Amino acid sequence: MSVQTVNTPVPAAPIGRKASEGIGKLAASLILIIAGVIALTPIVWLLAKTVQNKDDILSCLYFAPISHWTTENYQHLFVKTDFGHVLLNSIFVTDVTVITQLFFASLAGFGLAKYEFKGKKLVMGVMLATMMLPGQVTMAPLYDMLYHMHMVDRFQGLIIPSAVTVFGIFLFRQSILQVPDELLQAARIDGCSEFRIYWDIVMPISRPMIGAFCLMAFMGSWNNFLWPQILMHHDYYFTLPIALNQFNGMYSTAEGSMGILLAGTMLSVLPVMVLFVFLQKEFVAGLTAGAVKG
Amino acid sequence: MNLFPYGKAALSMFGLAVLSAGWIFVHPAPEKKATLTYWTFSKDHYDAYQKLIPDFEAQHPGVHVDLEIVNNNALAARLQAAFLSDLDVPDMTELEIGTAGTMFRGPVKDIGFIDLKPRLMQSGLYDRYVQSRFSPYTSRGGIYGLPQDVHPVQLVYNKEIFAKYNIDPDKIQTWDDFIAAGKKVTIPGKQYMIELSDSTTGSGGLETIMLQRGGSYFDPAGKCIIDSDVMVKSMEFYVPLVAGPNKIGGTTGDFYGATWSKSVEDGYVASMICPDWRTLFVQRGPTKMAGKMGIMPLPAAVPGGIRTSTWGGTMLGITKRCKDPDIAWQFAQFLYTDKARLAKNFQQTNILPPLKEAWSNPAFSAPNPYYGGAPLGAIYAKYAPSVPAQYTAPTIDTAKAKLGEALIDCVKYYNDNGDKGFDEFVRAKLKEKADDVRAFQARNPY
Amino acid sequence: MRAKSSGWFSAQHKLAPYIFVSPFVIMFSIFGIYPIIKSIMLAFYATNGPKSQVYVGFSNFNFMFHHHDFQIAVRNTIIYTLCSVFLQLPCALGLAILLNQKWLKGHSFLRLAFYSPNLMGTVYVGILFQQLFSIHYGLVNRVLASIIPGFSTDFKWLGDPANVMPALVLTSLWLYVGYNMVYFLAGLQAVDKELYEAAEVDGANAWQRFWAVTAPSIKPIATFVLVTSTIGSFQFFDLPYIMLGNGGGPNNAGLTIVMYLYQQGFITGDLGYASAVGWTLAIGVLAISLLQMKLTGSMKGND
Repeated sequence: MSVQTVNTPVPAAPIGRKASEGIGKLAASLILIIAGVIALTPIVWLLAKTVQNKDDILSCLYFAPISHWTTENYQHLFVKTDFGHVLLNSIFVTDVTVITQLFFASLAGFGLAKYEFKGKKLVMGVMLATMMLPGQVTMAPLYDMLYHMHMVDRFQGLIIPSAVTVFGIFLFRQSILQVPDELLQAARIDGCSEFRIYWDIVMPISRPMIGAFCLMAFMGSWNNFLWPQILMHHDYYFTLPIALNQFNGMYSTAEGSMGILLAGTMLSVLPVMVLFVFLQKEFVAGLTAGAVKG
Repeated sequence: MNLFPYGKAALSMFGLAVLSAGWIFVHPAPEKKATLTYWTFSKDHYDAYQKLIPDFEAQHPGVHVDLEIVNNNALAARLQAAFLSDLDVPDMTELEIGTAGTMFRGPVKDIGFIDLKPRLMQSGLYDRYVQSRFSPYTSRGGIYGLPQDVHPVQLVYNKEIFAKYNIDPDKIQTWDDFIAAGKKVTIPGKQYMIELSDSTTGSGGLETIMLQRGGSYFDPAGKCIIDSDVMVKSMEFYVPLVAGPNKIGGTTGDFYGATWSKSVEDGYVASMICPDWRTLFVQRGPTKMAGKMGIMPLPAAVPGGIRTSTWGGTMLGITKRCKDPDIAWQFAQFLYTDKARLAKNFQQTNILPPLKEAWSNPAFSAPNPYYGGAPLGAIYAKYAPSVPAQYTAPTIDTAKAKLGEALIDCVKYYNDNGDKGFDEFVRAKLKEKADDVRAFQARNPY
Repeated sequence: MRAKSSGWFSAQHKLAPYIFVSPFVIMFSIFGIYPIIKSIMLAFYATNGPKSQVYVGFSNFNFMFHHHDFQIAVRNTIIYTLCSVFLQLPCALGLAILLNQKWLKGHSFLRLAFYSPNLMGTVYVGILFQQLFSIHYGLVNRVLASIIPGFSTDFKWLGDPANVMPALVLTSLWLYVGYNMVYFLAGLQAVDKELYEAAEVDGANAWQRFWAVTAPSIKPIATFVLVTSTIGSFQFFDLPYIMLGNGGGPNNAGLTIVMYLYQQGFITGDLGYASAVGWTLAIGVLAISLLQMKLTGSMKGND
C-alpha cells in the first residue's frame, strides 16, 4: 500500500527538489523509451523486411513504401523450400516433448511434494546435484547411447531423453507444496484414489504453474539448437532451428533469397510470441517463484 | 473425472501433437528404393543431371538413380557422421575439394570411399584427365575421388573502368604490371582494382595466389609445409595487396549473392579472380554488366610463369556402402566421359571437364555475349593443363583454418607496422601455425 | 463413492509415491545418470565416432590444455562472461528500477517490450543480427554512420577479429537484458515498502535508500541471477555459431568452449575428447558458481 502523504514532518523541500525530481522523471522516461525502442527495433525491422521485395530489402533502411509491400517472400518460403515440413516437425517434436515433460514432471513433483517415502532425500539430492552440471557433459555419451539404441537421426532421440526435466520437477514440487493438505485429506475421505487426487484436484489448482511450465518447456524445445543439430542428419528430420541455420548458409547471400530467410525466421519466432501473449502472467509468476525465495 | 486437467494451453499443445503426429505418420521418411543414391550440393549440378538421368536409366533398364541435393555446409559433416554412425550413406556423392581430406582421417581400411585407382588405370582415364586434379583426392597411394573439373582461374574485369583509366589488359603480363595499373584505379573506400579478401584464404584469395606460386598446405607425402619458403614469400606478396597504404584489393565480404552483385555493378571492384564456375555466377548476379565484362589471364608471378591458378573443385566418390560399384562407375563414366554430355554440361554451367579430349567440341568455343563474345570454354581450356596440383591430408581443415589465422595476423601486423620486421613476423607466424597443424596430426591415434 | 476397503486405501497411499515418481526416476537413471557416469569413462578414450574406441589415459586432457584453440576458446568464454555479468546485470537492474517507479505509466507494455527479445530463440536472433551487423548494407552500420560523423558503413563487425566479441556481447545484451530484468523486477516488487518509508523518514535520499534498503533485500535474487548468468555465459554456443557462419569466426575470435567441444566431438568425431572437454567445463563452472555463492554469502542467508 503506498502512502500518499506522509504525516510525519519531512523537511519541506524547496522548489529545487521538485524540479530535480521532475528532471529525474524526464531522464528516466527518456532512458526507458530509448531502451524500449532498441529492444523492439530489430523485431520490427524483421517484420518490415519480410514484406519487401528483393530490391527494397537491400536498399531501404527500414520500411518500404506501402505500395511495395508484398507477400512473395512467404509464398516462396513455402513453395521453394520445405519450410512447411520442417515447421510441422517442430510442432510435433515440441508439443510431444512438452506434454511428456508435463506429465512426468508434474506427477513426480506431486509425489515429491505431498508424500514421504524411503529414498526421497536420496532422489532429491541426486537430482539437485545433477542440476549443477552443464548439459554438455552428457552430450557425447548420450549420442553414443542413442546410436546403439538406433535412435540417432530419429524423432525418438529428441523426445525421449528430454522427457526428464529436473528443473520441471522442482518447479512443480515448489508449487504443489502450497496446495493445502486438508484438500487432499478431504478427497481421500471421500474415497478418491491417489491418482485421482492428482488428476482432479491438484492439477486443476496448479493451472497457473502448468501454464508457466508449458510456456517455458515450449520455448526450450522449440528454440533448442545444439542437441538437434548433433542428433539429426537427414533433412527429413530437421527442426526449425537447424533448418533455419542451413537456410542461413544457403540463402542469405543467394539472389533474392534474403527475404525467404527472414520470412522463415519471422514465422519461427511467431508461435512463442503468441503463446507468451496468452500466458504472460503465469509465466512471470512461475519464473520468479523459485528465485525470489532464494 | 476431468478429461484433461492441465488447462487450455496444454490442451492445445496436446491437440497439435496429435494432429502433427498424424500428418507425419502419413508422410513417412522416404525409403531408399533407388539402385543408386547420388548426393550433390550444387543446384546447378542437380538441375543438369536431372535432365541426363532418364538417358542413363533407358540404357540400363531396371536401374533407378535417385538424385539428392544436400546443403554444402552440411554435406561433409553429414557424410562424416554417416560414415561414423551407420546412417543413410549414399552410394555416390560429390564432395568439395576443401573437405575431401577430412574423409581420410582414420586408417586406410576405414576410408568410406572405394579406391578408384584400379578402374582409372584400366579404363585409361587416368592419362586422359588433367592429372594434377587427382592430387586432392589421393591418400596413401589410393585415389578416392573422380575429379569433375579443372577450375582454371582467369581475371574477369570491368571493361568500362579499365578503359576509363587507359589500362590495356594485353599489356599486363606480370603482377608487377597489374599492381602498377591498380594504383591508378584504386580509390580507397570506393573503388578497388581487384576483389581480394584480407580475412579469408579461400574464395579466390591467398590460396589461389599461393597455388600459382607453387605454395601448398601439404607436400605429396601429407606433411604440413605451411611454413616453407614459398609460402612465406606468397604471404609477403599477398598481404600488401590487401593491407597497408598501397592496397589495391577490396571486398564486401561476400563472394556471391545480392550484396556482392550490387558491389560489382557499382564498380566497387574493377576485376575479380574468376574460375570457370564463377563466370556463371558473374553472369547471373550483376546482370547489369552484361557485355561490359572482359576476361584476361591471371598476371604471372614471374615473367614467363603460369598465367593461371585454381579455385575450388568437386570430386565424385563411390562409397563402400554401394552394393553395385560397377553400375556406379558406369554412371560416373556416363556423366563425365561422354563428350556430347560434357559439352551440354558446359553450356549449362560453364564448367570445363578434366577430360582433355572433350575440349575440342565446338560448344566450348562458342562466344559468350556476357563477356563481349569471348569464347569462354576455349580460353579456360588453354590454361587448364597448367593448373597446379594440391596435396591433402586428414588435417586439411585445420591447416586451412590456421593459414587463415596467420593471414589475419599478418594483415594486422602490416597495417600497424608496414614493411618493418614483416619478414621475421611472417616466418615466425607461419611456423607457429604449421606447428599447430603438426601437433594435431600427431594426435591422431589411428 | 466409499472406498473399497481401508486396507487397499492405505496400501495405495504407501505405494502411490513410488508409482508416481518411479517413471521419472527410471528415465532419469537411463538418460541422466548413466550418461554422466559414462562420460567420466569416455573422457579417457579417443574415439572415431560411436563405433570404435581407443584407451588413451590422460592424453585427452594433456592435449587439451596445450591446444592453442582450446586456450583461445577459454579466453573468449571468460571475456564474454565478464562482459555479460558486468554489463548485462547492471543494465537489467537499472531498467528494473526504472520500471518499478510508481509514477510510470505503460508499465506492462514496457515490460513486454523489454522481454520480447528473449522470446526469440537464440538461433533466430543470431540470423537476425548477422544481417543487422553486415557490412555496407546492415542496419547497425547505416544508423551509426548517420549519427556518428566519420563512421564508415564498411566497418566490419563480424569480419574483424577485434569486433567479433563486441558484436556478440551487444547481441546477447539485447537478448538477455529483459530476461534478467524480469527477475530483478520481481525482487524489487517483493521489497517491503515499509522499509522504504522508514528510510525516507530518516531523511535518506534515493541513492542512500538504494544501498540501505533495496540492495540487501534483493540479494537472494541478485545472487540467483548472477550465478545463472555466469553458468549460462559459460555455455555460450548458439549465437556465435550462427552469427559466425557455423564456425569460430575470423581467427577464432568467437570460438567458445562449447563450440570447441562441438567441433572436436561431433564434427571430427572424437566423442572421448568431447567428454574430456565437457568435464573440464563442468568442473570450471561448478568451481566458479560455488565461489560466487560463497562470496555473496548467500548459501545460508547472511542477512
